[in-house]
Amino acid sequence: MPLRLTAAAGATAVGLACGAIAGQPDLRAQLLAMPLTPQLGGDATRPIASPKSFSLQMPNAPRRHQRPFSFGNRLFNTNWVIAPGSVKSFDGLGPMFNRVSCSGCHTLDGRGAPPPDGEGPFDTMLIRLSIPGSDAHGGPKPHPVYGGQLSERAIPGIVPEGRARISYEELPGSYGDGTPYSLRKPTYTITELGYGPLGDAILMSPRVAPHMIGLGLLEAVPDATLSALADPDDGDGDGISGRMNHVWDNATQASAIGRFGWKANQPNLHQQSADAALGDIGLTTNMNIAENCSSAQAACTAALAGESPELPDEFLDKLTLYTMSLGVPAQRNAEAPEVRRGETLFRDFGCASCHMPAMITGDGGPLPELARQTIHPFTDLLLHDMGEALADNRPDFEATGSEWRTPPLWGLGLVPAVNGQDNLLHDGRARGFPEAILWHGGEGEAAKQRFRLAPKHQRDALVAFLKSL
Amino acid sequence: MSKQLKIWTTLGLTALGSATLVQATEIDRTNAPSFLLAQADAEGEGGESGTEAPAEAGEGGESGTPSTAEGGEGGESGNTGATTYALGSTDPNAYQYDAKPQIEAYVDLVYRAYEKAHDDAKAMKSAIEAFLAVPSDETLKAARQAWVAARPAYLRTEAFRFYDGPIERVEGSINSWPVNEAYIDYVDGDPKSGLINDPAADLDTDDLEALNQKQDEADVTIGWHAIEFLLWGQDLSATGPGNRPYTDYVAGQGNNDRRRLYLQHVTDELVHELEELAESWEADEKQSYAAKFLSLPPREAIGRMVNGMAILAGYEFMSERLAVALDSGDQEDEQSCFSDTTKQDFIADLEGIRQVWTGDSDGATRPGLDDLVFNIDSATADKVTALFADTEAKVKALGEPWDQVLASPKDSPGRKAAEDLVTSLQALSDGLAAAGNKLGVLVLVPKE
Repeated sequence: MPLRLTAAAGATAVGLACGAIAGQPDLRAQLLAMPLTPQLGGDATRPIASPKSFSLQMPNAPRRHQRPFSFGNRLFNTNWVIAPGSVKSFDGLGPMFNRVSCSGCHTLDGRGAPPPDGEGPFDTMLIRLSIPGSDAHGGPKPHPVYGGQLSERAIPGIVPEGRARISYEELPGSYGDGTPYSLRKPTYTITELGYGPLGDAILMSPRVAPHMIGLGLLEAVPDATLSALADPDDGDGDGISGRMNHVWDNATQASAIGRFGWKANQPNLHQQSADAALGDIGLTTNMNIAENCSSAQAACTAALAGESPELPDEFLDKLTLYTMSLGVPAQRNAEAPEVRRGETLFRDFGCASCHMPAMITGDGGPLPELARQTIHPFTDLLLHDMGEALADNRPDFEATGSEWRTPPLWGLGLVPAVNGQDNLLHDGRARGFPEAILWHGGEGEAAKQRFRLAPKHQRDALVAFLKSL
Repeated sequence: MSKQLKIWTTLGLTALGSATLVQATEIDRTNAPSFLLAQADAEGEGGESGTEAPAEAGEGGESGTPSTAEGGEGGESGNTGATTYALGSTDPNAYQYDAKPQIEAYVDLVYRAYEKAHDDAKAMKSAIEAFLAVPSDETLKAARQAWVAARPAYLRTEAFRFYDGPIERVEGSINSWPVNEAYIDYVDGDPKSGLINDPAADLDTDDLEALNQKQDEADVTIGWHAIEFLLWGQDLSATGPGNRPYTDYVAGQGNNDRRRLYLQHVTDELVHELEELAESWEADEKQSYAAKFLSLPPREAIGRMVNGMAILAGYEFMSERLAVALDSGDQEDEQSCFSDTTKQDFIADLEGIRQVWTGDSDGATRPGLDDLVFNIDSATADKVTALFADTEAKVKALGEPWDQVLASPKDSPGRKAAEDLVTSLQALSDGLAAAGNKLGVLVLVPKE
């Protein structure tokens, strides 16, 4: 059964339900008016609140997708080994890598976090590297020696690139009622450099692994929806712009709208999966046929590789299907009065301006289970300026150094149950929802201030709502 | 073991085709990270006092139909179980059957099954302790035999998974696989690997539990397969199981004392978990999950029973355990890869599913779902019973050891037999879904 998953699932606006027509200026209003249901992923929702909340296939998937999903799960959990391994299908690790499996960072299909004490190794986050300027396609310009990502690990005989460390500074603040809080501000340094100095012009972007649920649904949101929601020049004067990133699509060799990654720097899950396989694990694919070594890393280039490509098309397609098909856990406690109040406050504070409470998927591309679903991801998939305090100052295609893609909020309330931690934001600096909100700046500043100045019972209600998602 | 308190809270859910969530919130007031407490407090009213199980599970659950469930007519309590597994019908007299005998029988079946799993694990623990007391080829062999003998009773309980039962919270601590062996102990080519050979690593039970699947899904530290690895070692043989020498456990040598401690701790922990599971299914205990289960609207209980069976047959067993291994080309892609006893696992899983269908187990006869379905639609019941017979025949026809089948070429008779089992399990899950529909419950398994 040949699975072709490379079609741009979101490329069409056909099939928008409920009379919402992409491209019309009132799409935003229509989406905001849609009632929230606990079925956050539409028919792709699973009623589950356990450590396995993020790990199950969408319940509406047809049987023919079950076996490739399970094999994709197997690939996701595979600990790749150095070539030649005893099982040729699963060798080809490195030479440079961050972790030996997808689930090493997305453990139980969940979220990563910075190392607890700030000392490496970074097990579930990584650091992107570049130097000023851009590559041939408008993307970040890789460091001439270290490339586009710090590899903290390497196979025996190859020197790893270095070790990232975080030091935190506590920044005190207080709510409107005088209750104090403290935010931890991270500073990143890279030590034990394996290939000489990084230079003064180095740009770094730390990023934790996001949770894996509902990604296919996000891919199936039509491009036209993003276009309709975008307001690059803040034409409506609400202080929120919202821009699309335009990135490079390797398969079509053309520019495409970005929607995955912390800066929306990936156009689709097929490319996201291939790039993560290479950048994070060192697995080549037909999308990325060369190993992840720069020309200045001779031993890396010379190392024995697995059969080329190390991840054949069939495997990459099944892995991609897996990443498209993880079901969304249902909202818990939806009827609790505090949660209901929290939802109202979420809208009143202005959170919903970027964290869109409803989206409608298009025709689903190759996966009918993704088609025409009303979903509640709480993202507009657009870039927003989040202010200087959160900036990584590393542009990524059209995303500036202070812009980030609105991250989906669905499932975040279950991260403690799945991953035993509650760190949030792109680098996990926030210890729980209140800190994450308090870090918001730029376009999120006004909403943040409404939260900060609100009485405690309102702040608690908002957090109760977020935990219910 | 720190003092812990378990509270079964029904998490209200008003949703199309979804189940009321009943989640055990384990609250340890002394050690729990604040975010877990905060979550527990937010989600389970009664979390404050921590003294009683607060939820009236699923009251009023029969009122709505899935198609009208949106909009929250469940009211303000946040704890009314909205109609979930129950299918809607325009016929007000639809699904008017008495399932009380079957539901009570199920609770007894589940309790006895966990009790048996606990008993058999205790027998294994005794054998392991005898081995640790006097390590030898004979005592190691006896410990391995006890592991093999203890497995089926646990696997028969796997038909009680895949809804909001007590097992969901702890399954990862009991039966996780595959095991990244090198995270636990030495492996071929790396004599220093693993927690056992890292003197800085703490091997207290709580530490091992906290590390389980923490770094990676395959970094399994506890449960059946950790014990299996500790008893057999890596399976490096093309034809037989692993062959760890008993001398790994002779006290006082190398890191043997750490290995001895590790084996003792993970064995104790498994026995402890199984004991807790059995306790949570004690119907006489007012705050047990069993009591909550018995108070569910009948179709919410029936829905759980049928979904547990169908999802194990049509998803976990068929796809995650069988088809993946056939597709991967990896000889060791099997659940009990160190002992080469995966076929026994398959057989016991299917027995467990059948026990829920018939209600009968270990010589005890009980009212079963088969009778219930038969009274509504005899053809459907007969078909499912026939599908069980067919699937059992296909499981028994599997080659053994299973890893030899996986090592065989693409068109081998062994692989053909396994593909036939895949087909039979799909048909069985379809049959169970059809039976569930006759009983008016939604079954969440993939359809053609």
